Amino acid sequence: MSLLQHRPWLATGLLAAMFAAPSYGLPEPPKESPAEEAEGCLGCHEDPSIEVAFADGTRRTLQVDRNAFAQSVHFGKVACSECHPGFQEIPHPERRYASEDEFRAGMRQACQTCHFQDYSRYMDGVHHAVAKEGGAAPTCVDCHDAHAVTPPGKPRSRVSDTCSTCHSDVAETYANSVHGRLLAGPRPDDAPVCTDCHRSHDIQDPRSQAFLLRTPETCGGCHSDTERMKPYGLSTKVMSTYLADFHGMTASLAAPHAEGSTRVTAVCVDCHGVHDITKVDEPGSKVMKENLLKTCQQCHPDAAGDFPAAWLSHFEPSLERAPLVYLTRQFYVIFIPFVIGGLVLQILLHFWRVVVNR
Amino acid sequence: MSAHEYVVRFSTRQRVEHFVVMSLFVILALTGFPQKFYDSSWASAVVGLFGGVPQMRWVHRVAGYCLLFATIFHFFFVLLEVVVRKARLSMVPERQDFKDAIHQLRYYLRLEDAPARFDRFDYREKFEYWGLVFGNMIMVGSGLVLLYPMVVARYLPGELIPTAKIAHSNEGLMAFLVVITWHVYNAHFAPDIFPFNKTIFTGRISKHHLQKEHPREFERLFPDEATAAAASVAPTPGTPAAEPPAPAPGT
Repeated sequence: MSLLQHRPWLATGLLAAMFAAPSYGLPEPPKESPAEEAEGCLGCHEDPSIEVAFADGTRRTLQVDRNAFAQSVHFGKVACSECHPGFQEIPHPERRYASEDEFRAGMRQACQTCHFQDYSRYMDGVHHAVAKEGGAAPTCVDCHDAHAVTPPGKPRSRVSDTCSTCHSDVAETYANSVHGRLLAGPRPDDAPVCTDCHRSHDIQDPRSQAFLLRTPETCGGCHSDTERMKPYGLSTKVMSTYLADFHGMTASLAAPHAEGSTRVTAVCVDCHGVHDITKVDEPGSKVMKENLLKTCQQCHPDAAGDFPAAWLSHFEPSLERAPLVYLTRQFYVIFIPFVIGGLVLQILLHFWRVVVNR
Repeated sequence: MSAHEYVVRFSTRQRVEHFVVMSLFVILALTGFPQKFYDSSWASAVVGLFGGVPQMRWVHRVAGYCLLFATIFHFFFVLLEVVVRKARLSMVPERQDFKDAIHQLRYYLRLEDAPARFDRFDYREKFEYWGLVFGNMIMVGSGLVLLYPMVVARYLPGELIPTAKIAHSNEGLMAFLVVITWHVYNAHFAPDIFPFNKTIFTGRISKHHLQKEHPREFERLFPDEATAAAASVAPTPGTPAAEPPAPAPGT
């Protein structure tokens, strides 16, 4: 005891050794703090002339923007060498890459260690599927940046901006849609951005039936939410009325068995549009009464006459709207219990009398 | 009278018709109910059995068409038999059927001592037959509207299409409920029938059962035996007969 009292540095050292001891087999923790290590790396990597050459003859800069990096959520928390293992040594170990794509694909592994769930979701997504086939598709750093990693959805419009880097045509259509205009307006938090419908890491092929048949859930997530719809005066029965109709019933039944891209039924986006979605009463709206027949004809080319009236426009049948449907339903609400109740009563009476007779 | 003596009750055509309608009914219910109860897990399992919604619907529609043809076939032959062979319209409801129904209800409530004395088809059989006929017309009619909505909407209001969907869905449910309660009770679970009334499959009914269930028909077919049987169980003087021996109208 007295030994430690007189030599406080020894106590600290012992304590440190106790904590360090169980780390057998794990990589040595960096000796410097992440910020200190970054300072060392930036000593060289702030220089824009520092480059890597690939086997295909192309080159890319290895410059890191100090200010951008300082804004990163990783700055001061994640050391350079955690994403670039082995590069603490100077001179750096020699690595050979066939191309910049290979170099970038290799870097993706760096994110996996900490962000395993998002990483494995990404592996299920359409971007990875394209990349695997050798196509041009983004990896982690293309959307999140390598060094200037900041919260991707702050502000929300940033998500659309990120996707628009590659999907500029869709982004433009979206920006003019009712959702895009909402995003640019005073209530951006109410607007769906790309990732709300397509998801962020496990993005599915939007042409696949598996994705399309989930559209009612996707749209219904917001459009069945009374609180969310209140400021806009929109009905929250859109999903239930759709599901009760022929198209919705088919979508529910077919969704668990969806394969490929053969159209099974019409979903929300087939009538309302996708990225070009408008308010229902806006000029050019596909679901406006004047345009509805044309919208039906997308799938039913022979549709004519009063065919659009077969769809009750998300209204529940009532005496005012679709009285024939309403009355037919009410008739059966009374008739079925009447008939079945009467028959069951007769069965019971018959049975009772036969038993009594015996 | 031997218990092994039989009377032919149903012709081969009628037996085949029953078998066809029974099979189609099962197929139609199996492929129809998943569409009514689309959000249940068993519905999804049945769809999986058929390999997908379009395949299941194809089976439903083909079975529906078969039922349509079976119905047309039935009425064609009934008409032929009536016109050519002067057959009795034994399924047409008569005043006596309503009397029988009331009598039978009174019997159940112990207001009558004996059950009603039925002719070839009793009021329950007639009810079920006409229920099937009208139900069939609604199912086939609404089914065709749902199968050809564009043709319908070209000439008639589009609102007929969702109306047909409601009618098809509810009428189908009701038909199913009638069959699993009423028909299954009368053909299987009624105490005198249990476990199985085979007449619609074999075409034959024993004379014993005929006399018991359709006494008026029995009297018409075997007047001598009926008189002999009545004499042997003649009521004691002073007590009224269970049923006055007046001939039923229309016989």
